[in-house]
Amino acid sequence: MSSLSEHPGQQDYEALLQFLYMAPVGLVQLAGDGAIHMLNPLSAQLLMPLSPDGGLTNLFDALSPVAPDLRAQCAAFGAEQGAICDAARLYLRAQDSGQGPQVLSLSLLKLDRNRLMAVLSDVTLQDRRERQLRRTDAWLNAIMTNIADYALVSLDSGGRVDGWNDSIQRVTGFDARIQGQPYALFYPPGATTPEQQLERLQEADQNGWTLDEGLRQRADGSQFWGSSLISPLPGRGAEEAAYCLIIRDISDKREISENLRQATYCDYLTGLLNRRAFFEAGERELLRRHKVPRPLALLMLDADHFKAVNDTYGHPGGDAVLRQLAQTMKSVCREVDVVARLGGEEFAILLPSVDQDAAVAVAERLRAEVQRTPAGFEQRMIHYTVSIGVAMLDEHMHGLDELIKLADQALYQAKRNGRNRVRRGAPSQPSE
Amino acid sequence: MSTTISFSQPDLLPLLESMDEAALNALDFGVIGFDAEDRVRRYNSCESQAAGLGAERVLDQHMFMVVAPCLNNFLVAQRFEDARAEGSVLDETIHYVLTLRMRPTKVRLRLLCQPGDGLAYVLVQRL
Repeated sequence: MSSLSEHPGQQDYEALLQFLYMAPVGLVQLAGDGAIHMLNPLSAQLLMPLSPDGGLTNLFDALSPVAPDLRAQCAAFGAEQGAICDAARLYLRAQDSGQGPQVLSLSLLKLDRNRLMAVLSDVTLQDRRERQLRRTDAWLNAIMTNIADYALVSLDSGGRVDGWNDSIQRVTGFDARIQGQPYALFYPPGATTPEQQLERLQEADQNGWTLDEGLRQRADGSQFWGSSLISPLPGRGAEEAAYCLIIRDISDKREISENLRQATYCDYLTGLLNRRAFFEAGERELLRRHKVPRPLALLMLDADHFKAVNDTYGHPGGDAVLRQLAQTMKSVCREVDVVARLGGEEFAILLPSVDQDAAVAVAERLRAEVQRTPAGFEQRMIHYTVSIGVAMLDEHMHGLDELIKLADQALYQAKRNGRNRVRRGAPSQPSE
Repeated sequence: MSTTISFSQPDLLPLLESMDEAALNALDFGVIGFDAEDRVRRYNSCESQAAGLGAERVLDQHMFMVVAPCLNNFLVAQRFEDARAEGSVLDETIHYVLTLRMRPTKVRLRLLCQPGDGLAYVLVQRL
């Protein structure tokens, strides 16, 4: 065995090998098409759970379930060398299941035409800390920044407008007749549900405040970008106002926050929410269920025979189909619904406050609409269909992953039964 | 010692325990034995050559932190941890990709562990 160490230089070589074996960060060298040439053990540790059965022969393939656009992103990168992505976050799963990291960071550097280097690391904990910080930031932002104009609204315990004042008129244009109406009247139609409004109040009770940013509506129907802070009023009696709602018009800041939001939460190709946004929204819904039980439906959908579309029309044709599908999904959904692309041709929609029959009806409407609306591509029309699995969150489920699994099973049934159809997940049995 | 011992033969663990270093070195698959503290105690020459590391660099080192960080996940390390916590027998063979000399290498891994004081083993067969 000592023969390995006899040659001069051999010790250096072994030390170098061991240095790479032990490096606490994943390093991969790959070809332009993603083929892996070299990788160190930590890369394998991070990547193997993504594809326990597949070999690590191609990095784009290995990461395709969580970063479907990587190949396209590299192809679109025109420069001879440079950073293709820098510490991009990849979201592997919704919750901590003990099955490896939840969030990976990926940097990709182009060295020359046919050589790339990737750096991978597990940033699960860092991501969690940052999310906490973002919440604090949003709060500080709401109270510290320019508050030149704001509407101050008092609400009763049920969230109805309790008193009217000049500031409401100034910012929203509503007059005193709005007294007694739910505060949803400041939101565009479909942007909130009665359940969601009550939950905000409960969140305010528990945390001392609740904040959300989004479109608001004035009396004349025009819209503006606003931030709403709700806070419980201390020492209130039964007959007095229970909450204070502050609405600020932050339209001038919208561009900044929207750009940031897009970069972080939007899918590169379709403009829908990405995996990260979907998981975060799903977690929020699940947390809410502990406070107020309400139905939550999940649709998982998949473009049928998508590989054939790619084979026939090429990837740009496939992309056109995915974009059209995203449009159609948006057209049948409410603003409060969470519409996301999870990867490849796999999409999901969370429908808050929707029971099973209604969810199946939405799915059926979507399926029919997709069949009716082909995607336009180079003066041709690509006809395609989707299969949809529907699942309802029930009290026995422990997390979002279980709901996703049930919807996935239903989707699989829809595929097996001939595609272009909707199937609902079998209601789960109580586990104990 | 007969050299007909194969990677997949049943009841391999007691056999490995009874083999001396020369017999381990004669095997045509990699053998890494580690104790309850995950310190590597045995490392045969097949594995040493494949990894490009002399045994002296590996013996006494931590199995999942230093020697084989690529196995430090729920597919491998977790299985040993669970088997030890439950006091159960572990004998599973899985397909895996190792990074021997930083080259992705398809292998079969056999994970062996029994309750008691004996070593746990990872066996590596290159495909």
